[in-house]
Amino acid sequence: MKKIISIIAAVLVMGWNPANSQTQKGSVLIKNATVLTVTKGILEDTDVLVENGIIKKIGKGLTASNVTTIDAKGKYLMPGIIDAHSHVALDAVNEGTAPITSEVRMADVIDPYDIGLYRALAGGVTVSHAMHGSANAIGGQNITLKHRYGSGIPDDLIMKDAARTIKFALGENPTRVHGRGNGIQPRSRMGVEAVIRNGFNDAIQYKKSWETYNNASKVKGATPVPPKYSERLQTLAEILDGKIIIHCHSYRADEIYMLINVCREFGITNIVFSHVNEGFKVAPELAEYTMGASVFADWWAYKFEVYYSTAYNAAILTQNGVITSINSDSGELIRHLYHEAGKAQRYGELTDEQTLALITINPAKQLGIADKVGSIEEGKQADLVIFNEHPLSVYAIPQMTFVDGVKYFDINEDQNDMRLKVEATESIEPIFLKEHDHKCMHGVDFFFTNFGRNLFDHEH
Amino acid sequence: MIMSPKLQVFKSILVLVLFLSFHESKAQSDPIGEKRVTGTIAIKNATITTAPGKTIQNGTILIKNGLIEAVGTNVTIPKEAQVISADSLFIYPGFIDGASNAGVGKPTEPEKPSDFNPANPSDELAGITPWRNVVDNYDYKNNQVYEWRKSGFTIAQLIPEGGMIPGKTAIVVFGNSTSTNILSQNSAMVVKFQGARGGARVYPGTPLGIMAKFRDVYKNAELASRHSKLFASNSGLNRPEINKTYEALYPVVDNNIPVLFKVSDDLEIRRALSLQKENGFKLILAGVHDVEKVTNEIISAKAFVLLPLLLPDDKVTKAKTEDLTEEMQARTKRVQEAYQNNLKQAASLEAAGIPFGFTSMDAKSGDTFKNLRLMVENGLTENTALAALTINAANILGIQKFAGTLEKGKLANMVILTGPFLGEDTQVKHVIADGFMFDYEVKPKKNGNGEKNGNNGAVAINGFWEYTADTPAGSSSGTLEIKKEGDGYSGTITYDNPDGGGKASSEMKNISLSGSSISFSFDVAANGMALDVNVTGEVNGDQISGNLSLSEFGSFPMNATKKPISF
Repeated sequence: MKKIISIIAAVLVMGWNPANSQTQKGSVLIKNATVLTVTKGILEDTDVLVENGIIKKIGKGLTASNVTTIDAKGKYLMPGIIDAHSHVALDAVNEGTAPITSEVRMADVIDPYDIGLYRALAGGVTVSHAMHGSANAIGGQNITLKHRYGSGIPDDLIMKDAARTIKFALGENPTRVHGRGNGIQPRSRMGVEAVIRNGFNDAIQYKKSWETYNNASKVKGATPVPPKYSERLQTLAEILDGKIIIHCHSYRADEIYMLINVCREFGITNIVFSHVNEGFKVAPELAEYTMGASVFADWWAYKFEVYYSTAYNAAILTQNGVITSINSDSGELIRHLYHEAGKAQRYGELTDEQTLALITINPAKQLGIADKVGSIEEGKQADLVIFNEHPLSVYAIPQMTFVDGVKYFDINEDQNDMRLKVEATESIEPIFLKEHDHKCMHGVDFFFTNFGRNLFDHEH
Repeated sequence: MIMSPKLQVFKSILVLVLFLSFHESKAQSDPIGEKRVTGTIAIKNATITTAPGKTIQNGTILIKNGLIEAVGTNVTIPKEAQVISADSLFIYPGFIDGASNAGVGKPTEPEKPSDFNPANPSDELAGITPWRNVVDNYDYKNNQVYEWRKSGFTIAQLIPEGGMIPGKTAIVVFGNSTSTNILSQNSAMVVKFQGARGGARVYPGTPLGIMAKFRDVYKNAELASRHSKLFASNSGLNRPEINKTYEALYPVVDNNIPVLFKVSDDLEIRRALSLQKENGFKLILAGVHDVEKVTNEIISAKAFVLLPLLLPDDKVTKAKTEDLTEEMQARTKRVQEAYQNNLKQAASLEAAGIPFGFTSMDAKSGDTFKNLRLMVENGLTENTALAALTINAANILGIQKFAGTLEKGKLANMVILTGPFLGEDTQVKHVIADGFMFDYEVKPKKNGNGEKNGNNGAVAINGFWEYTADTPAGSSSGTLEIKKEGDGYSGTITYDNPDGGGKASSEMKNISLSGSSISFSFDVAANGMALDVNVTGEVNGDQISGNLSLSEFGSFPMNATKKPISF
């Protein structure tokens, strides 16, 4: 116990030092591993040298002085797993009060103390996409996190060089919350489309009014009146400018195809669909017009729009050339995404490399970070996991997890209590392990109090 | 006892009742400060601490019409002065509360329109009312004001009730009831991480929406201000659309007054600091917890800090852990450490060199000295504790010219104690606020080896009592039945059923008798709400006189008489 406290204290003290406000970068030499690069094949008995957070060299017989050396003989080294749809480490998920809330930022509500981060690390996940919930047609701006668990400083978790993304949602969730719950648009799938179109059209007008003002300001002696500021419309305008990637919660083929058409009409190409249970029906369209689909392996039937589903979805999408990833949307699934990917392989007979890509380089592409993480290549950031067995084996257990070359999880140093913060008022009761709600609709249960039975227990 | 939500209406009744009960029960003391024969008071032969670390032995303070006229060992006392011989008494500057709810009521909220759209509520319904002045909902005759003054507080910054931007603060002195007692109005704008009324269904409903909405309001206030200035000095421009939310933000945007951010933990502190960094307003952080994690950030933001006088209930330090499993023992230890850490907050602010004041919000006035002693036991120096209550708070509030120390020319606000500032047996004997003297009964010293829960023979609370409580909703009555059980007590309280008809009863919890002070609490279910009621009082033979307090609604006098049980 003492030891943990002193480790935590040390981390905290280091965090306090303003000179150390840069996130920690580590150096390490991992020797003799079976390296699953994902993009460059499998390298047997190979060493990976990490210097200052970056993969410096991959090869045989590497040496380095003053660097921790880990012998990974007989073990497997793979890139850190990336979860393209998560709600871990967030204090709030749904600002479910308005059909468009593009002004809200998940970066504002990061909870660096969430033990879910450590659990994700124990499952080999080094990057997660902390998303707004799916209560709104257009939700908030998401934030991509690196799992640098320990400092208690929200900023340390932010992957600063990641692309900007935003949450959209189609179908039952936004219509239920706003249409049926509050009696406002959208009440149907048509309404969802109208909300999105109107939002984009308002954003075009908004952008124009500021351009007019800014141009007028440049004239000497001019006194133009500033228009009203709206971060909501400003953000939508930036989507139209291609500066933000849409990640859209969706299930049905018709609604997916609808949004593809809306995006084409507005010239938007940066769009990823999430869940996408009927994606297999529109695979060629997804391949041609989008940045892909992020799906579950075999999870469905938790509400009406999610009945038409198949465990072959990931394989069909992959074989049709769709960039496909498998996500968790859950603090539990995030701990074994390698199993989830394995299921897609079991059904769809994907190759090992295709399967591992579902949880590494493909989600990296969807988050606009594929040039930095998602594979083991020289020059990339050293987010790495050592497994005892091949990660697609059912016997696979992550042994060590590194972010930027710093070890954040080691199964041999896994203390009972890894919480960073404990409340003085906490009541000490026995803990019962159970799977918690899937968090897409986190915090909006109250919208459904009149709906009777637990149809909505699983709330993506 | 019955808490109608419309308490305001009954305030005048309450005040009347209070006056009557005090006059009857405590004839020798003058807690309402009405007794002033002369405006000149000389307090002589006291130990006077004029400022933290500056103490005069056998000194005299001369007060004239609300101002300190002289302090020192060589003060000539004029003939008209009321002379108070203060041998063995200790005088300190009156305490200043950086953020207080005392006497502050809730403003009337507007009704929702029939076509209410929760996605786009009016500012008022979204909890955005920066134009409100807390003075409009302040009752300086409220019992809470009496209670806090009794603990040595003479000046407070009042925090308005409401949503995310509830309004502006005012600084008041806890003086005589013939004055409005206002020192300054609109002194800071309050912001809270509190969603719109109607919970998370109305925009903004979560910290996500609150952060975004704050940025929106701030940015548009800046733009509106620019437009107004342009319009005033140019022709040929469209008129500005007057918006009272934005106008109320101009003093903040122009950096004339600070934002007082009510925050809970380090994460909320960081959120407030990031809004400050983006927008550049002056910042006071009130109600901080886990502050030791963000001291560097607070220093570089030049933000002021108001630490809660409230400390968490100690549920763990005496917890018995021998019989627990190893895992439970380890977890208990972490909670114990978290509790200790909380007590060390003040010390860590001092160590980081951050001058701070205190806020009384959510705290109990009776715990003031006890909690300060706990902070000192955990590393805070007495001088810094005193500075936080006086000169540092004055600096944060910008009133150091006339408050915070005992010097010639400052307002006559001071607290007169029976012993040194944080001495174990020290009690408040007098408080001088705005030049008016308030006297308090000093209880005889506690029996040194008196048990906490037992009684030393002089005080017996077990038995059957009848009480009356004077609440805004009128007088209410009921019974207390207290039984001695081992070292402690158990009991039942009856009261008028809030949901109508007859009496209801609740179990009395945490019954404690210390010397002649009794305290207990109980829960009342009213209109589907669970109210937590706390009672404190003094036992005097077969009488108890005390107060019954309902966190949100205020504190009301309660008197009980012991009845012999007849069979």
